[in-house]
Amino acid sequence: MIEDKLLIFRFKQGRNGALRQIYDKYKVEMLKLSVVLTGDVNTAEDIVHDVFVKFAQSAERISLTGSLKNYLVTSVINRVRNYRRDNNRHCETGLEGAEVFSSPERGPHQWAVLGEQLTLLSHALRELPYEQREVVSLRMEMDMTFHRIATLQNTSTNTVKGRYRYAMARLRSLLNGEVEK
Amino acid sequence: MRSADDIRRLFKNAELRVHPDADEQVFKDMLQAQQKITENLPPSFLAKARRGENIWRITMKSPITKLAIAAVVIIACVIGLSVWRTTGSGIALAEVLARVEQVKAYRYQFFIGTGEDPNKPYSSERRSTSLISQEYGSKTTTEELDPNGGWSTSAEAYKSPDNKTAIIIWPKQKKYRRVEFDDTTAERMWEVSSNDPRTFLKRILACKYESMGRATIDGIEVEGFQTTDPNFFYFYIGDRQIGDVNQIDVKVWVDAKTRLPVRYDYMGDKRKSTHHFVMQDFQWDVPVDAADFEPVIPDDYASLVVKFPAHNEETAIQGLKLLVELLGKYPEKITDVTDVNAATVLRLAEKSETPAAMRLKEEIKGLTDEQINNKLVDFLMPKRGLRRFYGLLQWDKKDPAYYGKIVTPKDADKVLMRWKVSDSEYRVIYGDLHAETVTPEKLAELEKALPK
Repeated sequence: MIEDKLLIFRFKQGRNGALRQIYDKYKVEMLKLSVVLTGDVNTAEDIVHDVFVKFAQSAERISLTGSLKNYLVTSVINRVRNYRRDNNRHCETGLEGAEVFSSPERGPHQWAVLGEQLTLLSHALRELPYEQREVVSLRMEMDMTFHRIATLQNTSTNTVKGRYRYAMARLRSLLNGEVEK
Repeated sequence: MRSADDIRRLFKNAELRVHPDADEQVFKDMLQAQQKITENLPPSFLAKARRGENIWRITMKSPITKLAIAAVVIIACVIGLSVWRTTGSGIALAEVLARVEQVKAYRYQFFIGTGEDPNKPYSSERRSTSLISQEYGSKTTTEELDPNGGWSTSAEAYKSPDNKTAIIIWPKQKKYRRVEFDDTTAERMWEVSSNDPRTFLKRILACKYESMGRATIDGIEVEGFQTTDPNFFYFYIGDRQIGDVNQIDVKVWVDAKTRLPVRYDYMGDKRKSTHHFVMQDFQWDVPVDAADFEPVIPDDYASLVVKFPAHNEETAIQGLKLLVELLGKYPEKITDVTDVNAATVLRLAEKSETPAAMRLKEEIKGLTDEQINNKLVDFLMPKRGLRRFYGLLQWDKKDPAYYGKIVTPKDADKVLMRWKVSDSEYRVIYGDLHAETVTPEKLAELEKALPK
């Protein structure tokens, strides 16, 4: 937490070393979250790429008072929702102008290389309704509280707990036998 | 899968890795985005940000953050400000690469010294001046140290990515070669051009490297970065042989103010010789003209036009076929392919009765030395294509492997060469040179069955 405050402090001062440290610290976590939310590695890469590019431009706006991780998680979630809601527009125009910096140079290299278990998990999660997928991913991957998830989903804690229960029941059925006890 | 704990464990254990090349590209995009936004910020904000005033005011609005900052100060005092020291000057090497790639044209000097004994003078010395333009291509003039003293021009090389050609002129021999590439090869030739500051930076970035701190070179304050990772040489370097490097030491010194390279040093022990490369005297953003990159070739120079093969599986198979026809077996290591040069082929052709040797003997009958040389360039092209294809697989980290030491042309079911196509697929060339795509599991079985 304190380390993050220091990083933001130095990032706002325009030090590239801080930007690099923030990127290195959170890129894998954000890519994993994006993969389990979208179920598609290419879309997930584009979303996280855009999140970090926009973050790099945010020195003037970002404050020291919030959590850096929550800021990035919220950015990823918002972009995944935007992508889902307006897929066609997203493809044509990019996200909030970030297409200017989109990276054709990534070329043949896949940025994220998924392990077998993550592939299995993302396939199973694709079978869930999106809201349930979001709840279980934030709870399991990001260790987020139900209260915080409820705030993000703009709904009640009880609704979130219900979504979690349905999601877990479905996942147990989908993954039955896939994971060794 | 019964409990929430099982599912949580699956989430936590699910692994994701990032490809280093794509990773650096994303960070480069971030730096460009940051730079673009910084250019548009009001000067007052920048001034405040540098002084920390703006941030301090925001920070002190929150009582929790006040406590956090107070804790930071205390911890920093206790641990001797190690948090700040670990980040050094803040120069990121990826940023240096991004800056170099933004420069439209630059010039630099390049020196190569080679010797048997590091304590004695070099047995051969070359120096080059390169002019690189994003728009027009590159021009490199190479001089060699004459044993009688003084330097003389040995070659001029021009590369044009747009025309997909490379032209090399040898003034002393009064001859030149024009090499034509396919689209992909031309693009790669430009992307991983050897002895280029961009390629060196990309290779350092792909290795483990560390900051050496600040120093002064020619009155310029610089920060140094160093790698001794042998993987540095594991990548594609022009058409030279790679691998078999005992020890390397690569350093790049970056101007602390402009964030552009000032000097590169490479020391490497390869087989029994020591190589020393130095790149220096960089001039950034130099004015250039298209005419600078147009070769002037006198009419009386002898010409040779070479069409370079595409770097793909087909060429690799042709190269392997040629080698087995010439040598009667596959080369033990892929790096041995480079040893099969024109002189080796002529020697083999004289003594051997292999189909390829017989064919070559027939083809060169009655030709002049010059014509024989030209014929050999064509004849050996599939071999060069194989070598470069394998080099690119290494550069792209596609997990290539080659088993020429234990696989023969009769081994139709044994893996001679393989590389990764995707997470779930490998491409395999078998001993009899047929190829197929297999799963990683199938490949594991095939490789387990190889003779020890």
